[in-house]
Amino acid sequence: MSEPPSRSLDLEALLADALRPIEPPERVSGRVETTLSKLTEAAASELTWWADELSETELQALRDPRNWVRPIAAAAVGGVAGTALVVMEVRRRRRHEGLRAIAGDLRSRL
Amino acid sequence: MEEGTDRPDAATESENGSDPVARRKVEVDRDFERLYKDHLRDVYSYSYYRIGNHHDAEDLTEQTFLQAYRHFERAQRESNGRPLRPWLIRIAHNLAANYHRDKARRPTAALDNIEPPQHPHGTERVVEGRERMRQVMAGLEHLSDDRREALIMRFSLGMSNREIARALGRTDGATKVLIHRSIKQLEEELEAAGVERE
Repeated sequence: MSEPPSRSLDLEALLADALRPIEPPERVSGRVETTLSKLTEAAASELTWWADELSETELQALRDPRNWVRPIAAAAVGGVAGTALVVMEVRRRRRHEGLRAIAGDLRSRL
Repeated sequence: MEEGTDRPDAATESENGSDPVARRKVEVDRDFERLYKDHLRDVYSYSYYRIGNHHDAEDLTEQTFLQAYRHFERAQRESNGRPLRPWLIRIAHNLAANYHRDKARRPTAALDNIEPPQHPHGTERVVEGRERMRQVMAGLEHLSDDRREALIMRFSLGMSNREIARALGRTDGATKVLIHRSIKQLEEELEAAGVERE
């Protein structure tokens, strides 16, 4: 900062005095450190879990595209089943609406 | 990692220096610890002057370091060796802004309640000094948020213009002008309130 004009020097001293740094209470560092160590422990155990869960052979198996066929097929079957359910529901509604229309037509004729 | 062997825990492995990822993690944690130790007081002071009470300043300090920890590696990469204090204060600044938005109250109202720090002087001078400081705090209350923040960063944290510029996301020139105007306005406020110069 370029040096401020001399007339504000008193004010700068006042400001430095009024806005003096505040020493954090002991418990703040305790709190922050505890939270951070919990966080790092959680991250480390997460990593360990992954490492334990997936052995090297499993990882290799995951990398092999031949093993992707089953999941893809399962997803495709799931998708087809979902679509079929939607189609059936639409048909059911239409049928319902069709019956209602016939009933209305009969009522008007009588 | 050899196939079929048990995986030792990350810390042990990193100490052996065999796993570059774990070794890097230890280095990052060590750097973060240094940042934390060097700037805990800065973050706390900034939080306290922005919020106005110790309880919420503690929360804000904790949140600042948590958020800093999450993004520390990236910040380190992008800082190109520049000090990370402005980045850290910027996090505190954003969190303080959220705090005030949530509370829907003016931050300056809290500043007025701040007890001036204790002085190691004689009783008469202490009373006089405390009164003057109270007036300075009241004067700060009349400044806009950005002006007040710039003064807190400058006088409480001793940040340079460049650091303040980075923390506030402004240019060095704009920051210089901001601080100059803040001091000028405060001086006028204090003169209007009848505060005499020493």
